[in-house]
Amino acid sequence: MKNDRPTGDIATALSLVTGATILGGIVLACRKPHVPVKKPQATVAAARRLNRAAGTLAASVLIDSAIEHYRGNFHNKAMITPLVTASLSLAASLHGTADSKGEAHVIRDLIYAGAGLTGLVGTGFHIFNISKKPGGLSWQNLFYSAPLGAPAAISLSGMLGFLSERLRDSHPDMPPKILGIPAGRVIGVMTSLGLMGTVAESGLLHFRGAYHNPAMYLPVTMPPVAAALLGASALGPIRRHGRLTRWWLRATALLGFAGTGFHAVGVARGMGGWRNWRQNLVDGPPIPAPPSFTGLAMAGLAALALLEDHPDD
Amino acid sequence: MTDRYPGYDVLAKRRTPSWNEPTRQVVNRRLAVPREPRYLTPPLFTVLDAVCQRILPQPTDRPPVPLAALVDDKLFTGLQDGFRYARMPDQGEAWRRGLAGLEEAAEAHYRLCFVKLSGEQQDDILRRMERGELSGGALGDMPATLFFEHRLILDIVTVYYAHPTAWSEMGYGGPASPRGYVRMGLDRRDPWEAAEAHDGDETKARLENGFVG
Amino acid sequence: MSADPFLSDPFAAPRAIGGRAPDVMKAGGWLPMKQHDNNEEVDFVVIGTGAGGGPLIARLAEQGFSVIGFDAGAYFRPLEDFASDEIEQQKLYWLDERIIDGANPIRMGGKNSGKAVGGSTVHFAMVSLRFRPEWFKSHSLLGYGADWPLDWREMWDYYARAEKALSISGPVRYPWGPKRPRYPYRAHELNGAAEILARGAEAMGYQWTATPLATVSAPHGDSPPCVYRGFCRFGCSTNAKQSQLVTFIPRGIAAGAEIRDLAMVGRIETGPDGRATGVHYHREGRWRFQKARNVIVAGYAIETPRLLLASANDRYPDGLANSSGLVGKNLMTQSNQAVFGVMDKEVRWNKGPPSLSITEHWNYEDRKDFHGGYCWMAQGPLPVEWATIVAGSRKRWGAPLREEMMRYNHQVGLKMVGEMLPDERNRVTLTDEVDQYGLRIPRITYSWGDNDKALIQHALGEMERSLDLVGAKDIFRQEDDTNHLAGTARMGSDARSSVVNADCRSWDIPNLWICDGSIFPTMGGVNPSLTITAISLRTADRIKALAKRGEL
Ligand SMILES: Cc1cc2nc3c(=O)[nH]c(=O)nc-3n(C[C@H](O)[C@H](O)[C@H](O)COP(=O)(O)OP(=O)(O)OC[C@H]3O[C@@H](n4cnc5c(N)ncnc54)[C@H](O)[C@@H]3O)c2cc1C
Ligand code: SF4
Repeated sequence: MKNDRPTGDIATALSLVTGATILGGIVLACRKPHVPVKKPQATVAAARRLNRAAGTLAASVLIDSAIEHYRGNFHNKAMITPLVTASLSLAASLHGTADSKGEAHVIRDLIYAGAGLTGLVGTGFHIFNISKKPGGLSWQNLFYSAPLGAPAAISLSGMLGFLSERLRDSHPDMPPKILGIPAGRVIGVMTSLGLMGTVAESGLLHFRGAYHNPAMYLPVTMPPVAAALLGASALGPIRRHGRLTRWWLRATALLGFAGTGFHAVGVARGMGGWRNWRQNLVDGPPIPAPPSFTGLAMAGLAALALLEDHPDD
Repeated sequence: MTDRYPGYDVLAKRRTPSWNEPTRQVVNRRLAVPREPRYLTPPLFTVLDAVCQRILPQPTDRPPVPLAALVDDKLFTGLQDGFRYARMPDQGEAWRRGLAGLEEAAEAHYRLCFVKLSGEQQDDILRRMERGELSGGALGDMPATLFFEHRLILDIVTVYYAHPTAWSEMGYGGPASPRGYVRMGLDRRDPWEAAEAHDGDETKARLENGFVG
Repeated sequence: MSADPFLSDPFAAPRAIGGRAPDVMKAGGWLPMKQHDNNEEVDFVVIGTGAGGGPLIARLAEQGFSVIGFDAGAYFRPLEDFASDEIEQQKLYWLDERIIDGANPIRMGGKNSGKAVGGSTVHFAMVSLRFRPEWFKSHSLLGYGADWPLDWREMWDYYARAEKALSISGPVRYPWGPKRPRYPYRAHELNGAAEILARGAEAMGYQWTATPLATVSAPHGDSPPCVYRGFCRFGCSTNAKQSQLVTFIPRGIAAGAEIRDLAMVGRIETGPDGRATGVHYHREGRWRFQKARNVIVAGYAIETPRLLLASANDRYPDGLANSSGLVGKNLMTQSNQAVFGVMDKEVRWNKGPPSLSITEHWNYEDRKDFHGGYCWMAQGPLPVEWATIVAGSRKRWGAPLREEMMRYNHQVGLKMVGEMLPDERNRVTLTDEVDQYGLRIPRITYSWGDNDKALIQHALGEMERSLDLVGAKDIFRQEDDTNHLAGTARMGSDARSSVVNADCRSWDIPNLWICDGSIFPTMGGVNPSLTITAISLRTADRIKALAKRGEL
């Protein structure tokens, strides 16, 4: 049986590159002259809400990947990467949330881009990891090997942050656009896709748990509706379902927190309960995972606000 | 024998979630087994003791396992296997005959009692029994090989590997309830499992084994 | 037994008494239990509360019959009574003396028989497999053994019900046999030993799968998910294991069944009309008699024939239900040989249930020159068992034994479960020695046939090749092991060649039933308990149907 694992080195190299990029960015940012621009308040507010959403996702990823990679004993040095990027993304998001200036921030930008990249690379690693397991792309490996969907969450955080920066960058006198498309629509569609991805991940893991508790159906029923409503608003006429969409997104945001509560109860139900936390925190339902729904719902709300502030139809 | 799991002591986990109350009581009782014979006569017990040292020579750097006392305890409490070969007497009788048979063989071959023999000589007698070369006398109609394999070896090996000293030396995680294990894959160790010393990193393993709780 | 005043001794006195039974899910907990008087003629007495007895006790009670389940063993609460210890937990086994002989004597005790409320399922390894459909007609379809009077399609339904009732955790897709519904719970994560099996199977081009196990991978009722402690064969102190003790027995009690623990049945009484009238049992120091309209024997393949033979009387001088002369004959066990080796990597095979992966390749492949099939599974023996294997199979003692034991965490193994063919010379008889109750102890005679030996050699070769392909070193064979029992009261379609009919009803005495592993006409190449449970569920339904038609 082959047991050499070259991935460790590749990953270390990659994290070095990422680190260097970020560092370079910091240097660049320090040199950039500061030109204040006046932006409509609403756009900046939306951008800050996106930062908050990105931060919520980053926090969820940070703790979740810390626990999961601790289980994996960090046997591969690259497993530290998501912790670093998620921390940076969280920091950038906190900074962005507090920042009411109407322009993008180079460091935040770089960090967000790095987060997006990390997620992609991570997905690659996880696919590689699964392909090495006997059975290949089987249910068994989807359940228990490196989770395919998890790294995408850090990408989502990066993406939301990146979009937030684009918002701040948009032309002050026109409705905000990203790549020439109304910003609300872009963010709405991306968030909607992100929600569906997260639904798939929780669907997979709840299937692994055999939906033993009816509440486990909530994250595979509520968020898809939110995603559909948001997607419909982002792609079609905005006003039709505005109120419903908003309330549904709010409920989804709450669901994320409620999920954490449910998962905490699940951990307590493990053998030995909290006294056996070193096992149950890792083997039990992941406490930090559900708030990723909250983060995405927050982004959806921001998109919805943009769409309503700048109706383009 | 080099220490593969330096510094690992399974008893260090006794107060952690890896041990439940029934397990603590069971192991406490085992560690406190009376060292004097309660079933065998003292002369036979000394033969048993000598046999045990040949069957399972003990590590010098870990607490010794009172093998003979543990075998005697099994006979005393009458814990049975659930079966008996048709050609074998019950376990107590088998042990009495078997030990007496060894004593007789020692006299016959070396004109000394078993405990006075050198290690090699004792092994020689034991091998003769294993090969079925001893018969009659105190053994009676009990087949020597059957006694050796299914009574003598089985009982001694069982009590040794049911003892924490053995668990520690072989790096076995030991009792595991309510806490079980998390890291299931190859080459993965939970923080409460023994760390193995690989070439040149004995210090690292020793350090990790200091934290197995 | 224990110094802690909170913990009581399950052996000191019966626990299921005084209108209550232990709540197995809570230390010190109790459940209300209905009780019957000895003189009350109950509808059913069930002797044995294991894979065969448990489901019947529950289902009959749920159908409104009055039922008493007797077990010679203790009524454990796993949370407070089970230690993580190979020696202490022998209290789950049937350790009363039995004489073994023949060319290949079967070692009893922990290898094959339990003595506890819940029977052998309290310490079984939880592997829950279905028969290959053809095995129900192995004589007519495959040319060996005997046909069962059951149809596999009907069995497929009952398997599904058994799997549901036991919350089996199994793979999303099972690679062999006809389609089956999805297992109620998802399969468990593989441990290192299971991964080695998988890699070996893939290297040979065979399919493999995560094993369907009766231990939950997610919470179920009061059962927390499995914590992978690996002491399954010594009782699950987590209560993740879905033994009869935590599934059907509590269900039965809730439905009004009574359980009598530490109650050894010594004799079944028959009346002037030749029908069974009740059972003599030993409890709390003396013999008692319980009246019953029907008696169901479910004591497994040694105790069932022992009880039937010991109940001989003037009317039935050869023992009850024995007009065919087959009671005690055709005893079967399963070949349980293994191949072991050492890996460079740390495997730590004691983590998790022992048999997390399996290949049934040779159960479904007929191109071979012997009858019957076999599967093999990953292994994870704990130190005492491992030491006895090394000492026994490699004849090691002294320093070489200790040296070899040091490799424990690197060891891997594959263990077969193979079909042995029925042979009338393999049998259970009574000796003149008596046990602690004054009952004659059984003699178990067993010799392997040529086909058995050929199958074993084939399997050993295959398993060895598989381990070799994954780079295991210092490979050796464990040649002599057997596990699981069946036969001794086979079912069939006529009274001359079998003891019971398809409904597990004895041909000779209409109110005497036998429903446990003893009724197997052939053994099959998979672990037997799921089949026993499925048949038990079927029997309960049949009894209901017969009762409705007034044919009890
Ligand atoms: C170590 C081990 C591992 C196993 N692993 C598996 C596995 O992974 N998968 C699988 O399918 N099977 C496994 N088995 C086999 C399985 O446990 C048995 O096939 C099954 O439990 C048999 O069911 P039964 O009802 O016939 O008998 P049992 O479950 O043994 O129940 C019989 C009960 O009857 C009681 N009894 C007997 N006689 C009397 C009497 N006269 N009076 C009162 N009570 C009496 C006994 O105390 C016992 O509790 C394993 C067995 C062992 C020992
Ligand atoms: S490994 Fe699972 S089923 Fe086995 S004893 Fe442990 S918790 Fe129970």
